[in-house]
Amino acid sequence: MAPPLSLLDTWVQENNELVNKCKQKGEQDAVSRDCSQPPLKWFSFEFHKLLRKIQGIPPNADHTQLELAVVFNAGVCSAAQSQVSEAELFLAQATERVLQMTGGDAGASDPLVRWRTVLNSVGDTALHPSVLYLLCLQWAIWLATCQLKTIQEFQEMSALFDTLCGGIGDGSVSEARPKSSNIPLLVMDPRRLIELLQICTSIALGAERLNEGRSSEALSSLQAASALPAPRALVAYTHLLSGSCLTHMRRPQMALQCYRKALETDSRCVCALYQSMLIYRQLGNTQAEIQALRLLHSTLMLPSAIEPALGSTHLLSPSLLLRSQSLSSLLSVPSALTVLHSLALKCVLYGRVSEGVEHYLDLLAVVHSEDQQGLHTEDATLPKLPELYLEAGAALLMARRPADCLALCNEVNSTTLELLPEKVVLEEPEERREAETRDMEGENSLAMVLWTAAAYLLQGHCHSHLKDWKQAVTHYTRCINLLVKVRFKKRDFQPQIPGADMDVKRGKDLCVLERLKGLSLAGRGICFIQIDKLKEALRDLQLGLQTFPECVGAGLWCGEVLWRLRRRREAAACWEKTWSLTTQSLDKSLPVYLQEPQSGPLLDSTELRHRIQELGPT
Amino acid sequence: MEGFLSDELCRNPHRLAHCGKITFFNRKRASATNDGERSELLFCSFSFERGDNAFLKAADGAAVISRRRSAHVDIVKCKCVTDVRKRVTTACILVTRTSEKGHSFQYSLLTLSSSNKLEPCIEFKLPYQMKDNVSILQGPTVLWTHDNTVFYTSLKAGGVKQIPIQLSHIVVSELPLHKGQIFVLGLPNVSEKSLNDQLTSQTVGCFVENGLVFDGSLVLPHPYICITQCLFVLAADSEDGVLTCTVVAATSKQQLVYFENGAVKDVCQLPFEQPENIQVVDAGRNGCLFVVSFHQGHVCAVWKETFQIASLWSDVSSVHVDDFLGCGTEQILLVFKDQGAAGQPLEKFLITDLCGISYSRGQGTEASKTSSPPAENYLLTVQALESRLQSGLIVLQELQREGRVKDRVLQQTVGALTDVVSGRETVLSQHEQEGLTALWDCDDESKDEALDDKMQHAPTVSSKPQIDKLWHRITEDQMIVGVILSSDSSRPVSGVSLSILTETGQSSTPAVIQTRSQVFWLPAPCPSSSSSASSFPEPAAKRSKQHNASRPNDLNTCRLAVTAVTKLTPLLNSDCVKCSVMLHYVQRQDAFGLVSDPAPVVLHCGQVVLDINDDFQSQLLKNPQLRTDEVREDLLSLLAVLDRWVLHIDSPDYSLGDIDGWIQKRVGCKKIEVNPEYLLLNSSGPSAVMLLRWHQSTPFQGKLSVHSSQLQMLQFLDSLLAYLPASCSVRPVKGARGESTAQMFALALENEVVSLREGVSLLLCEEDEEEAKKKSTGHEETPGSAEGLLRCREVWQRDVERTRMRLSPLVDAVRYRRLIQSMTKVQLEGDLAALLNTQGTLLS
Repeated sequence: MAPPLSLLDTWVQENNELVNKCKQKGEQDAVSRDCSQPPLKWFSFEFHKLLRKIQGIPPNADHTQLELAVVFNAGVCSAAQSQVSEAELFLAQATERVLQMTGGDAGASDPLVRWRTVLNSVGDTALHPSVLYLLCLQWAIWLATCQLKTIQEFQEMSALFDTLCGGIGDGSVSEARPKSSNIPLLVMDPRRLIELLQICTSIALGAERLNEGRSSEALSSLQAASALPAPRALVAYTHLLSGSCLTHMRRPQMALQCYRKALETDSRCVCALYQSMLIYRQLGNTQAEIQALRLLHSTLMLPSAIEPALGSTHLLSPSLLLRSQSLSSLLSVPSALTVLHSLALKCVLYGRVSEGVEHYLDLLAVVHSEDQQGLHTEDATLPKLPELYLEAGAALLMARRPADCLALCNEVNSTTLELLPEKVVLEEPEERREAETRDMEGENSLAMVLWTAAAYLLQGHCHSHLKDWKQAVTHYTRCINLLVKVRFKKRDFQPQIPGADMDVKRGKDLCVLERLKGLSLAGRGICFIQIDKLKEALRDLQLGLQTFPECVGAGLWCGEVLWRLRRRREAAACWEKTWSLTTQSLDKSLPVYLQEPQSGPLLDSTELRHRIQELGPT
Repeated sequence: MEGFLSDELCRNPHRLAHCGKITFFNRKRASATNDGERSELLFCSFSFERGDNAFLKAADGAAVISRRRSAHVDIVKCKCVTDVRKRVTTACILVTRTSEKGHSFQYSLLTLSSSNKLEPCIEFKLPYQMKDNVSILQGPTVLWTHDNTVFYTSLKAGGVKQIPIQLSHIVVSELPLHKGQIFVLGLPNVSEKSLNDQLTSQTVGCFVENGLVFDGSLVLPHPYICITQCLFVLAADSEDGVLTCTVVAATSKQQLVYFENGAVKDVCQLPFEQPENIQVVDAGRNGCLFVVSFHQGHVCAVWKETFQIASLWSDVSSVHVDDFLGCGTEQILLVFKDQGAAGQPLEKFLITDLCGISYSRGQGTEASKTSSPPAENYLLTVQALESRLQSGLIVLQELQREGRVKDRVLQQTVGALTDVVSGRETVLSQHEQEGLTALWDCDDESKDEALDDKMQHAPTVSSKPQIDKLWHRITEDQMIVGVILSSDSSRPVSGVSLSILTETGQSSTPAVIQTRSQVFWLPAPCPSSSSSASSFPEPAAKRSKQHNASRPNDLNTCRLAVTAVTKLTPLLNSDCVKCSVMLHYVQRQDAFGLVSDPAPVVLHCGQVVLDINDDFQSQLLKNPQLRTDEVREDLLSLLAVLDRWVLHIDSPDYSLGDIDGWIQKRVGCKKIEVNPEYLLLNSSGPSAVMLLRWHQSTPFQGKLSVHSSQLQMLQFLDSLLAYLPASCSVRPVKGARGESTAQMFALALENEVVSLREGVSLLLCEEDEEEAKKKSTGHEETPGSAEGLLRCREVWQRDVERTRMRLSPLVDAVRYRRLIQSMTKVQLEGDLAALLNTQGTLLS
């Protein structure tokens, strides 16, 4: 029988076997998701067990290197599972034992002081690198728990690690290689860990500074960090954050360059695409914005976009180290659906109607299938489903597909009809705070009313587009009837039109209401003209102009009615007034379905001007 | 009597479990009034009654220890051990009697017989009092330590004996062998340590009965001996004198450690300090438990299987393991400390095996704190469930993948079908066709290129390149001759090389020396190179364009250095001191010159005078910071002499970082001021000079040129690989010297074979064609008549002649000459390639 190995040798062997297994697992994970390998939890447990064995005997100079290596391994495994407190406990025990062995003073409770004591007590002995590895782990834990201040306070750390990194690969390692079976291995190459920590720290610090408004300071440190050796995704992050800094410094073109660099570095860095889109939006470059949105959407639809970009290293992954709130808010990207919605909306608003319609239909299809699978999660950035339907309907009408628009509006009406309240009271904001719950209900019912009304309005537009004046009048009338149910209420319970000092949301509701009313009245008026009910037409058009004075169609047609009623001067005045209005094409702040219809019966302005000229001066 | 007994017993708990009963021992001090002057030892056994859920008295008795009044009697210890003679387990109790003066101590070991009588077994006298470290072991044997010496006594030993070696940190235990062997473990004493260094890190074991010394680390490794508080040997085997055993030890580090042959197998963290005793409970099918009792009444039970804590108790006055219920398996009896003064001795107790059996009395719910099952159990369960889930998932994924494959096949099929129906070609085949055409296109292009190359070799006699400087260097056994040219014209020169002619004094014909020529482009004198590093990097696209654009400019306007390397020895042999240096080049007119036959131009550059006594110490190696022309020449010479490897380093998913900085941090690395792109690595001696050049194209890619010997390059690469990320790939760039010569040689040989085959077959084919022409002139004959027959015979004879001719054909002399001429040309090329190749292999 061979002589039994010494405790040290068996433990080193045990450690190295575990490490090799762990590395194999890492490689296999990288190649394929092989599930036969034991999970990380198992490694963590085994390392902890080994550590318990080693720490079961008094501190011993021969064993310390092994012990520290196992502490490192166990700590890395624990930290990789986000069990930071466990890893910290290991570190505390290890430092205590090192101090016991070297006879240092173990009194300090402050981690910084403790680490300095340990480093001093170890001095320049063979243990120095081992202690530094542990300090790396401590650094990782500080980073994972966002204790950036502590990292910054530990100024001497970076110098220490520079010496550690410098020692690798210049021949000093190769001297030690022959004895490799006696050297306890580490689950993670400490140099890689340091590199990772350095760049992650730079990124986290950069994000923090950016949040504090110190952009130029952040920019210089991020630029320096972009040259560090690091995984592709992290290099991309440095460029991305540099771009954000430049955006804050009001240098959008340079920011765009940085975002492009980030994308070139890592094609999965969708955030760079999103940020570029925002810059194009800010610069008013609509075509580029639409292009960026389209790219962003197609990138988000790639299967690789679902995978986390930072899952490359199987132990301490960058995502574990980059947990700061400020960074994640900088890196957040809206969902694919939201992007698709804004793409569709932009297309419709900027004249690419047919394209926009296709995007809307895609969007509705996705939402519908998600709804059917019960997957639909409330996306706060996406409008409510009826609004999506109405927007899509408006887009379809713009694309001259009234039949499809009618179908969508019917869909909206069928869902909301049952939920329509008898009477809705639009309250003032002071009232609302007193009764939050009741108000939620009220808000919902108000929304229902507005959606249904908008659906009727769109249907009216469709029918008038199809020259089915009777149907159009019916739908416009339904819309108007619904809208008059809404009443305003002031504090003294007297219905009254509220002032301008309303809060934004309620103001918007009111605005929507007014607009709906004005548009439906105008629409009905125009229909009446077509079936030669001029009196009714004049009444409706004038009422419509009263509630919504900027309505160009109503103004022009009102003039037309007056003209036909032989009130030509009035008609001319009416037309002049309408033309004098600022000719706004589409109001971007309002939903697309509340825009004036571009279809339906139209009046030729030049012809009208001719008429005025014929009329001659008064 | 009863009350007194129990009262006493409660205060001095000497209890032991034996045969399913618990027995209490106590001494009774003789009272003066009673039976004279004697000290008695009382015992009392209790057995558990399930019905009453209480211990009832089974037997009691007494034995007189001393009849003298002044004697002080004490119970030292009691324990159940195997009586070797009777081969039964008996309860043993060790009592001591102190003499009046306190000088001598009388010890006696009593056994409790099966008939419930106390019988004296061993008696011995000591001049000192035993301390706590007494053990009663099988035999019965009494073993104790005094002054670092282990003493023992048993019936077999017949008197007090002593272990032959001196030990410190003594641990005593017994092996559960059929014979039963008591052993002592410890560290050798200091005096011995210094004598025998070999033993310093070893634990020493010693069998008590025969005094045999063995390697104690087989039982307990060295570091544990100092911290072991108690030890229990679970199993032992001794084959051929080799001891194998499994041991459980409780240490002062709050651990219960499981050893197998001296190797730590498992560790369990204990919740209390100062372990005192380990007992093993065999709970039958439910497994085994270790019961560890601690100082101050803490008890802890640990599962043997999982080595996890099963339960904890506190406030325990004693723990016993036996089959108290008589059910065939063992249980733990925990006797709790009794706060109430009076009453039964076993007022508060718990009998349990932690697997269903539990009888308790007199304790509230708070007394037994059974800990929840350890997290490890949950972990194991979860692991099992996880693996099942994962295997299920794998099956599901495979099914999904299969489904996807089927879908794709179906889609493609349907697509192809619709294409067929609509008369279109399928997309798939189109792709393949594209691939094929692309291949053809490629070939055409290469042909065109070759044509271009030929055309570019257009000679012009005008505008000679101007020779700026001629220099030479000697390193080791090689001479390097260099020329710096400045071609002022915009017309590029190509095919530049140098040759050296010896100029012997006597003979008039100079001899050409074999040389190896190299061309280097020198940067233009304008200081434009340093401006490329800007603080804020410009976009990559712009930069690369500029880089590309700079190249042709360099070619046209910048200076050219041509070097030739030759061996020094032939020059010295031929007693030559003067050499002429000739420059060969081909000058082209334009990129698309029309003249097809390039004529090489030879230019005499000057003479080199060799003087062996010259000091050819390289300035560059001495001081790379210098910026003189000499240093530049040194650099060029080095570049000419050293072998070159160009490596492409590509790291797809991890940026490379500062490789330049890393190289510069290496020992003996210096930047060359003359040409800052190059780094000089001059670690040890002039033969180990290394020139490095790192050009990083993106953060993830770069090109490294290494000029050094092959071994050095490999060594350097080895250390570089340790620095580079693991996913990095390093591959040599095509066209680097070592590779290309071999390839060129292979290509030349292939070319030779192909052209020989083609030339010969062409020759023969033409011959055949002529034959055929001749043959076609003759018209067919039919062997109808005699004349026809004759003609047929003639034809046949001609055929015979022709087949004979075919074996050794006659060919046209002119054509044959042409073939030989072309073959010689081809062979010349092959020879040249072979020469280059052999030179390359010799030099590397």
